[in-house]
Amino acid sequence: MKSIQQRLSIGLASVLILVGLALAQTSLWLFDTGLRGSLGSELQLEADNLLAALVRGETSIEVDQTRLSPVYQRPFSGRYFRIELQADRIEQQADTGLTLRSRSAWDHTLVIPEVAGLQKSLGDGPQQQKLLVYRGDYRRFGQDVAIIVARDYTPVLNSFQRLRWIGLGAGGIALVVILILQRVIVRRALQPLDSVRQQVKQLQQGQRTELDNQVPEELAPLVQQINRLLLHTEETLKRSRNALGNLGHALKTPLAVLFSINARSELQGHPEVVESMRAQLDNIRQRLARELGRARLAGEALPGAHFNCAEELPPLFATLQHIHDRDLQLHWQTTPDHLRLPWDREDLLELLGNLLDNACKWASTQVRLAITQADARVILMVDDDGPGIDPARRDQVLNRGTRLDEQVAGHGLGLGIVRDIVDHLAGTLSLERSPLGGLRVVISLPAPT
Amino acid sequence: MRLLIVEDDVALADELTADLGRSGYAVDWLADGRDAQYQGASEPYDLIVLDLGLPGKPGLDVLREWRAGGLTTPVLILTARDHWAERIDGLKAGADDYLTKPFHPEELQLRIQSLLRRAHGLANQAHLEVGGLHLDESRQAVIRNGNDIILTAAEFSLLRYLMLHPQQIVSKLQLLEHLYDGETERDSNVIEVHVNHLRRKLGKAVIETRRGQGYKFHGVTAGSTS
Repeated sequence: MKSIQQRLSIGLASVLILVGLALAQTSLWLFDTGLRGSLGSELQLEADNLLAALVRGETSIEVDQTRLSPVYQRPFSGRYFRIELQADRIEQQADTGLTLRSRSAWDHTLVIPEVAGLQKSLGDGPQQQKLLVYRGDYRRFGQDVAIIVARDYTPVLNSFQRLRWIGLGAGGIALVVILILQRVIVRRALQPLDSVRQQVKQLQQGQRTELDNQVPEELAPLVQQINRLLLHTEETLKRSRNALGNLGHALKTPLAVLFSINARSELQGHPEVVESMRAQLDNIRQRLARELGRARLAGEALPGAHFNCAEELPPLFATLQHIHDRDLQLHWQTTPDHLRLPWDREDLLELLGNLLDNACKWASTQVRLAITQADARVILMVDDDGPGIDPARRDQVLNRGTRLDEQVAGHGLGLGIVRDIVDHLAGTLSLERSPLGGLRVVISLPAPT
Repeated sequence: MRLLIVEDDVALADELTADLGRSGYAVDWLADGRDAQYQGASEPYDLIVLDLGLPGKPGLDVLREWRAGGLTTPVLILTARDHWAERIDGLKAGADDYLTKPFHPEELQLRIQSLLRRAHGLANQAHLEVGGLHLDESRQAVIRNGNDIILTAAEFSLLRYLMLHPQQIVSKLQLLEHLYDGETERDSNVIEVHVNHLRRKLGKAVIETRRGQGYKFHGVTAGSTS
């Protein structure tokens, strides 16, 4: 899609060019017509003068040179005439009649126009001159007299041409100046739009939760709608999370009662019943935890969500240290130092909590977490110095439902939930050998765009 | 050991009370957050099991106010909310452990035992083992030199309390307060009877009587056989 700026520029430029050209051409045409009219009446006067200058000489009719302007004597002066007598035969045999010509035309013969009056089109003159031609028909000495007077129009045409170039140049410069000014004006007028765009970008990066309301009234409805939508999404998400949490709570407590009943001494006489019931209850518990976790993820991440590593990791590690109350060295590091990750806090805590909890279960003394931001991805790496997982079995561990860690206290759900979250965030998960000797879990998450 | 269970689900609370009672704990039960806040701070409990979704007052608020008021009793949060964010919030508010529903009853027992040991400076210990005696809390028996000695429920809870306070003088009043729940009639003569039973089973030197003060647990020192 073209930018508004570009559209406005193209529109303005084409309108200006069209109007400018039409105006210039019209004014030139008007000027030309006026000039021709005034020159035409001059030529008519000249023709009248010439008629008056016709005198009967000794042999024939001739022009009284004394009454002629000297300009008709000078060759190619630009003023010419031709007088045809016996004008009734002019059309058939031009040479049979008497022709009087100005000396200025030299060897050029003026073409006799077909109709009297000022000619619409310019005639050819000597030395490529363009002539404005006037023909006047008279009757003198009992003869038809056609007087053709011509005037060089080339200087006028040349100055028109010059005018056109000057006009084109000036018009071009004016156009450029106008376009630049318009660009500046449009840019200033669109500034609020640009700031809204910046804010939407920040919104996506999770640096703000709503758009600034201080915008011009044209933009206000848009901004308000976006804000309302954001609020609505947030509320819906919160509601559905709450609803799911409540459902979980509602189901889990009766399940806990069932676990307790199952452990009653009255039932201990039927160990196989107790065992199979316990297995089923465990099944329900695991499915419940997994599905609740997944359903919670189903909503799109809240706009404006972020995870501040320096703020969230210390309490998480304190919690882990507390849960795994033994001699464990837990260590974390982020690159760069102050790292803000653009994902939901709860999702990341869930992801890291489960990963690290698993690592703590297996580790003998050390667990390390490294978070690195590289280009558009964030790499989370969890290392432990436990027994690790045989390369051949790693794929098996990643398959849903497999529980390699079931013999260790806890649900053994860890990696499944981690996988769900990684899938939800469109990331990848892989298991490698850790330099510490145990398992390394590498998670690569693409930064949201 | 006297426990307070704050849980609004009656069925679960009944189960927990019965289960923990069988394990020799004196158990008080409350369902309302406001009651819990008052009673938890005023009665001498050894451990509190706290649900988070309580009527009256949210469990986390109750816990925060206990801690703000200087209560140091270990608190185990028992909740259906199993997210790490909630777990962290719970521990931040001052909980000592966090167990999510549903749970196996034996898991709760283990957590309570370990919390009590930790609260009495016996951390990093998988069993209660003091003064040459090893208390098997699941079977309510005491093991001395590899020999099982079966205890009655009353003897077991008395011995457990004394073993968690080794080399300390424990008054009769203290024993009455911590071995019986709020409903039971308390009789200090009963304590004397149980102490004598324990002496008969484990040897006279195990528990010393300090006249006018109370009892002191010494355990069986190496070499003493009777």
